[in-house]
Amino acid sequence: MTYAESILKVLVVGLLLGAGLPAVFAGGLVAYSSGTGGQASDGTVHAPNPVLKYLGIALFVFVAWVIVTAVFWITRTTIIHHFGVDLFPFMPKK
Amino acid sequence: MIILVLLIATALAFDFTNGFHDTGNAMATSIATGALKPKTAVLLAGVLNLVGAFLSVEVAVTVTTSVLKVQDSKTGHLLPSIDASTGLTIIFAGLIGGILWNLLTWLFGIPSSSSHALFGGLIGAGLAALGTAGVNWSGITQKVLIPAVAAPVIACLVAACGTWLVYRITRKVLQKRREEGFRWGQIATASLVALSHGTNDAQKTMGVIALALITTGHLTGDVKKDGLPFWIIFSCALAIGLGTYIGGWRVIRTLGKGLVEIESPQGFAAEASSAAIILSSSAAGMALSTTHVATGSILGSGVGKPGAEVRWAVAGRMAVAWLVTLPAAGIVGALSYWLSDAVKSVSGSALAGDGLIFLILVGLSFYMWWRAQQQKVDHKNVNADWDDSTNSVVPAEVREAAKAPKDTAAV
Repeated sequence: MTYAESILKVLVVGLLLGAGLPAVFAGGLVAYSSGTGGQASDGTVHAPNPVLKYLGIALFVFVAWVIVTAVFWITRTTIIHHFGVDLFPFMPKK
Repeated sequence: MIILVLLIATALAFDFTNGFHDTGNAMATSIATGALKPKTAVLLAGVLNLVGAFLSVEVAVTVTTSVLKVQDSKTGHLLPSIDASTGLTIIFAGLIGGILWNLLTWLFGIPSSSSHALFGGLIGAGLAALGTAGVNWSGITQKVLIPAVAAPVIACLVAACGTWLVYRITRKVLQKRREEGFRWGQIATASLVALSHGTNDAQKTMGVIALALITTGHLTGDVKKDGLPFWIIFSCALAIGLGTYIGGWRVIRTLGKGLVEIESPQGFAAEASSAAIILSSSAAGMALSTTHVATGSILGSGVGKPGAEVRWAVAGRMAVAWLVTLPAAGIVGALSYWLSDAVKSVSGSALAGDGLIFLILVGLSFYMWWRAQQQKVDHKNVNADWDDSTNSVVPAEVREAAKAPKDTAAV
């Protein structure tokens, strides 16, 4: 792999996970917050909306799931080495 | 054998300084925004570093193969031109260069790269001992230098995008709820950074210890295939965890207060960007500097927020420190090697030479620690207001107190 390629890879992964995931989290926060209702900064009062609230929670769970999967992906060789369990049997081996 | 034990102790000491130098990378923003209490933050970071160290050995492989040419690249055996004693002295001198540079930058509160200090030291000692043939130039360019230039830029870019997006998306959310939500997000992402720091940086020391054991023939060369002995991983994990817990308050202060005044959405975006980049490059075996990434991200979070102020004077001083880290640690490494080698040829004993540089290391380390105690930065004053006129890491009150007569300062 050439340098440019690996730098590009890190940049793409970085943008996806480092800026994309926070954006999803922020989206979750918006949904959760407006789903909870209450008084907005301009003084208007919104009714709670359970659908939006659960959408927000679902987005949070999605973010957590991506993070946990990513950590396991990095650990996979160590896990294979010590426990002999391959967590990603369908992915190509290095 | 005594030398090997001394060397492993020194390597673990380096790991320890690495830990406390870099606590700030993970926790500075959380401490600055008040998402976590300072003590809680360093404890959390310490534990996660410990866990992170067990996750992977990719970077350790890079350290054993890509910096110095002491192994035959095919068989992993020691090259015939180097005897074990020279090899150990090179690694020893390299570690000393790394530790001394780490302590010096910590004294001034500059978040310089521990990784570069280590590599610089090793390269310097390698050059002094073996000449230009002893250094794996292509390995260094590919796995150290290029990531060093690219990492902060990528981090800055990613964090700027992240910050901008986060502010854009949540602009209508209630201020209070936004602060609270991002505070949680921040704790989660900062924990991830601490974890990734463990996987990336603890491995550098593991790599060095492995290199020493390969040199003496206690370990076969193929770390990638055989894994590392458990005690190496465990002791490195412990050393970096403890170091992180001690907390490099000076560096935390510079990162959290000096560079940009941080709000929790910014801290969140910065940490997310750091975590993503460090973890992905750990997986690729790139030994990049977690410090450069964290600093780049924090800068980016300042650039990405409309109206935020970045203290470019502080950033510039860091950039200078980054540039000189490799050569400076290299010079210390080379000097240590020459000194040890000279003593060895005079006294005829390798232990005398290596022992002497070890004593010098202990003496200088103690001196710098003592200097830091004179104007102490700790968990109590880590968030004190930044003094724009001096840009010094020591809070103004502490400097005043230090100037005052001894009896009042002692209270």
